[in-house]
Amino acid sequence: MKTITILSGKGGVGKSSFAASLSIVLAEKYRIVAADCDVDAPNLALLFGIRKLKKKEKISTNYKAFITKDIKKCPNAKKLLDVCTFSAISWDERREMPVINKFLCEGCGACKLLCPEGIELRKVKNAVVGRAKTKYGFHIVSGQLKVGESGSGNVVEVVKENARKIAQEIKADFIVVDSAAGIGCPVIASIKGSDFVVGIAEPTPSGLSDLKRVLEVVNHFGINYGIVINKYDLNRKVTKEIEKFAKVNRIPILGKLPYDKKFVKAIVNMMPIVVYEKKYEKIFKEIVNKVKL
Amino acid sequence: MKIKIAITGGKGGTGKSTIATALAYKLAKKYKILLLDLDVDCPNDNLILGIKMKKVKDVETTIPKFDYRKCIKCGLCSKVCREHAIVFVKGRYPFVIPEQCIGCKACKIACPRNAIAEAKQKIGEILIGKKGNLTLIGGKMKPGIEESSLVVNAVKKYAKAYEKNYDYVIIDTAAGTHCPVISALIGCDIALAVTEPTPLGRHDLELILKLTKKLKIKSHIILNRSDIANKKIIENLARKYEIKITAEIPYSKDIEKNYSEGRPIEHRAIDQIIKEVK
Repeated sequence: MKTITILSGKGGVGKSSFAASLSIVLAEKYRIVAADCDVDAPNLALLFGIRKLKKKEKISTNYKAFITKDIKKCPNAKKLLDVCTFSAISWDERREMPVINKFLCEGCGACKLLCPEGIELRKVKNAVVGRAKTKYGFHIVSGQLKVGESGSGNVVEVVKENARKIAQEIKADFIVVDSAAGIGCPVIASIKGSDFVVGIAEPTPSGLSDLKRVLEVVNHFGINYGIVINKYDLNRKVTKEIEKFAKVNRIPILGKLPYDKKFVKAIVNMMPIVVYEKKYEKIFKEIVNKVKL
Repeated sequence: MKIKIAITGGKGGTGKSTIATALAYKLAKKYKILLLDLDVDCPNDNLILGIKMKKVKDVETTIPKFDYRKCIKCGLCSKVCREHAIVFVKGRYPFVIPEQCIGCKACKIACPRNAIAEAKQKIGEILIGKKGNLTLIGGKMKPGIEESSLVVNAVKKYAKAYEKNYDYVIIDTAAGTHCPVISALIGCDIALAVTEPTPLGRHDLELILKLTKKLKIKSHIILNRSDIANKKIIENLARKYEIKITAEIPYSKDIEKNYSEGRPIEHRAIDQIIKEVK
């Protein structure tokens, strides 16, 4: 079983669209599981026409600190403000006690070490993870971080774990992971343990800059990768720059997709582009052939 | 009164940076503008505005430095570390995995022998650039580091001293709805949620509207590429959350071209936004 992860750095360059079509093309020949690891803005299920997941379960991967009534007995209460790396603790002058901004608390527990009685660490249900069977025959696992909660990296781990379980049950050949935008914790969690990474590039100055940044992260893990240029005809000058960057760094260009309004129409109809417009199947098949595992 | 306007949206690539830079560019013709690029994972505003950035400061976090002469190999530091950044094997000295460490100092507090000192680890940079009335301050996280929100908070803290000299503070956030976006949104007066009329745009917009509601920030919807599909799905959502669609920008190849060449756009919708947020 091999894991192929799709990322891009910049958002909205076509990660999910690509992941959806790649899944379809792979599923024609292999057993696969799709995993949407963009847990703070998950969209992959929508592209398979799925609005509601099944077997949803609330999960808890995070702690948050809460003030208890014993805080007044803690001699270190004022020191809590300095100890919090995340600036989540401030002083309430009127009540003469610290208060915790729950949106900023990362649950590291440093404050509890200073005031063991005055602080309580509680597990918080910070995400929902579910699955669904797509009409194309394979399963998708998806997670959703609860609004305002943190810990997206850990939620990604759970989504991947659930995808792996299904993959083992059905003896799948591939897991296709759609990652979040950016280069931070959820993206790093998506990359970890992958066998191959596909970087989606858009020929804009931002698209190239962000792709370079995220590939630098992939380099840390020593995982093989290739580039797909999306909307390559939008700006041929930058496309050339991307190709040059790939050549210099010996990164294979797996394929190029044109700018086509049909891509938007496919999204609106909640379909992968290879289902909506058959002619793109060929390009995706060529891409699959170039993925070196 | 200074107004702090955040540009957000949930889904990536809907036009957050396009709107943020266009708004800053237009307002800077009359006012002094401070633009904060708080997408520290993938900062792009400088590319669109053609502003050369200069590094002003490193962003550092604390990382434990063990004094093995004092260490009694009790393993408590490893036990309290919720990020699993300290490796401890019985009978051996503990050590830290720097990329995993978020700098919370729990290990230092827990150590019964005072064997842990604070060392510094660079996790990013703060950069600044200027163009006329417009000052751009941004952050750039070091690739491989996980905690984007620490860099976001460092940039916000650095920019605080500048704020009083400006008429507007415009804040560009990252895609998504997680920690770095929450950190960027906290303290803003108005949030402009940029979206597009696709099921994906709608889905992520709803998440962002729920978030701004929780954070008690007044929101506006900016509907970008308003004609690429049926905009009813966004109008219905706007009604459900009683939030106004303040501006609509139809798709245009010129806008796309400007963006792909790294130029801020000029559009009457931007004037519309300015009128509404003033």
